[in-house]
Amino acid sequence: MFKDQIDVLLVEDNKSDAKLTIRTLEKYNMANNLVHVIDGAQALDFIFARGEFEGRNMANKPKLILLDIKMPKVSGLEVLDILKSDERTKSIPVVMITSSKEEKDIVDSHKLGVNSYVVKPVVFADFSKTIGDLASYWLVINNTPH
Amino acid sequence: MTKTKKSDELIIATKELAVQNVEKKKRAAELLIANKELVYQTKEKGKRAAELIIADKELVYQTKEKDKRAAELAIANIELNYQNEEKEKRAAELIIANKELLFQNKEKERRAAELIIANKELLFQNKEKERRAAELNVANKELAFQNKEKERRAAELIIANKELVFQNKEKERKAAELIIANKELAFQNKEKEKRAAELIIANEELIYQNTEKEKRAAELIIANTELKKAEHLIVELNIGLEQKIIERTAQLEAANKELESFSYSVSHDLRAPLRSINGFTQILMEDHLENVNEDAKMVMEEIIAGSKKMSELIDNLLEFSRVGKQQVTMENVEVQNLVVSIINELRQEDPSRRISITLNRLHNIKGDKNMLAQVFINLMSNAFKYTGKKENAKVSIGSYIQDRHCVYYVKDNGAGFDMRYYDKLFGVFQRLHSTSEFEGTGVGLAIIQKIVLKHSGKVWAEGSVDHGASFYISLPND
Repeated sequence: MFKDQIDVLLVEDNKSDAKLTIRTLEKYNMANNLVHVIDGAQALDFIFARGEFEGRNMANKPKLILLDIKMPKVSGLEVLDILKSDERTKSIPVVMITSSKEEKDIVDSHKLGVNSYVVKPVVFADFSKTIGDLASYWLVINNTPH
Repeated sequence: MTKTKKSDELIIATKELAVQNVEKKKRAAELLIANKELVYQTKEKGKRAAELIIADKELVYQTKEKDKRAAELAIANIELNYQNEEKEKRAAELIIANKELLFQNKEKERRAAELIIANKELLFQNKEKERRAAELNVANKELAFQNKEKERRAAELIIANKELVFQNKEKERKAAELIIANKELAFQNKEKEKRAAELIIANEELIYQNTEKEKRAAELIIANTELKKAEHLIVELNIGLEQKIIERTAQLEAANKELESFSYSVSHDLRAPLRSINGFTQILMEDHLENVNEDAKMVMEEIIAGSKKMSELIDNLLEFSRVGKQQVTMENVEVQNLVVSIINELRQEDPSRRISITLNRLHNIKGDKNMLAQVFINLMSNAFKYTGKKENAKVSIGSYIQDRHCVYYVKDNGAGFDMRYYDKLFGVFQRLHSTSEFEGTGVGLAIIQKIVLKHSGKVWAEGSVDHGASFYISLPND
């Protein structure tokens, strides 16, 4: 059903933002092993291999999770909390990518142990560069344990 | 006959042969011996030949050794030759040095002779000095004796003096004390007479006041009961007020939360569609260039520019509302340092910009450091921006104290503004210049005004078109 290696898990409810992000990553050739889910509940189901993703090999952890904050059902902060509290998923790098510049969101995310907090630029040139730099850093330059 | 001759001959011959055979056998034996001798000698020669070969090799080897040594000796010879030349050079130098030394020695001998003559002269002078020293010694002892006499008398006089001085001071003290004591007594006498008179008046006063107090006591009792009634009323009113305060605070908090979630919405939800518009239009331009003509490109650039502008407007609006919500944290702010670092950053952003800044004294003030920083950043950026088209851009900053307020001013000689539209100057998103003249969204001055009002201060400005503008903020200086 899914390829063995999952590079990026994109958790984004806004279809346009998801398209822009995936398109940018494709341009940088980093979207080959990308999975896109549309809310927090689906994200958790995917990571813990349950619900519609039962049967997936849970040991295949994504190299990077791009997480939006405001999403229906389960919010980004709730997902972050669960991921960083569980021994099995604690070490997966989570980058919050969100429109919100609110100090409260930044503070809460860091309290829960987010690896990075990035505000989505409105201007596409900046957006594209930000996503490119981000993916390049977390997938190529940074080393994550396997 | 012949046969006997022949047989005689034969016998002789045979004897001859026999003798010859014996001779041959002897010679054979001798030859054998000689052979053995030859074999032995041949072996000896072989040994010697072998020895000679070894000796030969030895000689060859030694010859090579001798050749090597000969070569080394040749090199050593060259070295010795070279060193000999060096020694001859040094010998020549030493000869020159020797001649020099000889000459110097002669000079020294001349000087030695001169010194000997000088010495004899000194000896004679020394003897003269010793004679005079002896005479002086005698004179000195006489003087020393006389000095001791004088010192004895001086010491006696000093002791006598101190005694007199001490006695004098004692007398003066006693005299002064007597005078003070006298004045004191005279003063006290007058005081007693005054108090006696006052006491008589006071007594009459007290009698009068007592009657008055009795009257007032009666009035106070009436007033007290009135007060108690009023107190009850106040307590009731207070309870009512507190209720109203609680209600209104709850309302304000609710309104604030609404505003906060409104801002949050604006920041989050409005930005997402903007990102779509900007993003997909950009993608159209980048990825579908072949299908797009010049007119379509222009249209898309307008869309992209419009979405960028909207994003800026949203950011500025959010900033403005955030400033409104913030509470002021008072601390001592060193305005001089603040403004200097702001100017440095502005210069760094555009190093090629030539602008002359006159920094006069800036007083310290009590206020919220971050908010005041925002105010000065906005004032300075405006000054930089609106002098952008002037050849000789000049900005001057300073402060002065007036009526318990500290007034800060920023004056520039830039584009200025028309005083007819002064009312709009501090309005949100209100601009007095077009975006093509100067970029901006018109929220900088509104933010300054909000912050200054939060500090119970005032902000005002003066300007004239093309002749610059001056902005003033006054903050309470307690």
